[in-house]
Amino acid sequence: MSATKASRIGEEIWKTRIDKVNAELVTLTYGTIVAQLCQDYNSDYQEVNKQLEKMGHNIGMRLIEDFLAKSGVGRCANFRETADMIAKVGFKIFLNVAPTVTNWTSDNNQFSLIFDENPLADFVELPDDGRAQDELWFSNILCGVLRGALEMVQMQIEAHFVSDVLRGDDTTEMRVSLVRYIEDEMPPEEE
Amino acid sequence: MPVYSFYIFDRHAECIYKRRWLPRPTSIAGKSSRATDPQAGPTGLGQTVKAGDDDAKLVFGTVFSLRNMVRKLGGEEDNFVSYSTSQYKLHYYETPTNIKFVMLTDLKSPSMRIALQQIYINLFVEYVVKNPLSPIEHPGGVGVNNELFEESLEQFVTRVLA
Repeated sequence: MSATKASRIGEEIWKTRIDKVNAELVTLTYGTIVAQLCQDYNSDYQEVNKQLEKMGHNIGMRLIEDFLAKSGVGRCANFRETADMIAKVGFKIFLNVAPTVTNWTSDNNQFSLIFDENPLADFVELPDDGRAQDELWFSNILCGVLRGALEMVQMQIEAHFVSDVLRGDDTTEMRVSLVRYIEDEMPPEEE
Repeated sequence: MPVYSFYIFDRHAECIYKRRWLPRPTSIAGKSSRATDPQAGPTGLGQTVKAGDDDAKLVFGTVFSLRNMVRKLGGEEDNFVSYSTSQYKLHYYETPTNIKFVMLTDLKSPSMRIALQQIYINLFVEYVVKNPLSPIEHPGGVGVNNELFEESLEQFVTRVLA
């Protein structure tokens, strides 16, 4: 399936099958979660990143079922197709953004998602404590969502942000690497 | 069109939901002229019922092997839809997340693939997956046996499929 076809599917589902919600509600809800985590972990941003990733993982494991139910798409033939599906259908229907897929490694196992816009980070300015700018990945929940969602469709991946406009970088970029395909689980042996 | 039983297996090969409609309640069986005599129909099923919980394991083993064999012969994308014996018809639907839906019906039943897909999309995802307080995985069926899901499934099977 080509990237353009994926875009079309994403567009179609977004228009016809998605309940819309106020954008500020999403931004403020997510912002509140991050702020609360920063408070709970005394601005230990490594820990905040970790917690966000964990929460995302839980979300992703559920979200994938909704994604499949709404899109009706089958298994992707290869990781390149998966990347287009994530960017053009997944992000489109859940956040109404379509990040650019780029920077493939030659083995087709690693790619980057470049976000031109990020609804989670509207209105956000990182704290001026001299550390948040270097340590906090504000939208880290997205990495977890991808990991959880792909785990359910038998792909173990690793995802992390490498740059964020909130930190003063030129782009917001997430790096996604395929670790391995997960084998079917067998029923436990009868004793 | 009698539905005999229904199973859901998760990606860990565990049966997370099981439902049997036989012997059918006499009130329903009485109203429907097509209802089969519970004694005459699935005698094979009657025997597995006696075997207790083993039937879910046997069903899983069957569909798992069959699916793997089908993929070996027909390619990774291939999947089997149903098989029939002289007593019953087994319908199968698997999601890309490896959740397997299995339904046993009588022989005259048309393909249930769409019906199983509907159960996944409209019942399982809506009432089980989206319930924020239900666990993500369902060891021992935890979270699947909630009222909304069970009632809707009952309605779906008795009204839509009947």
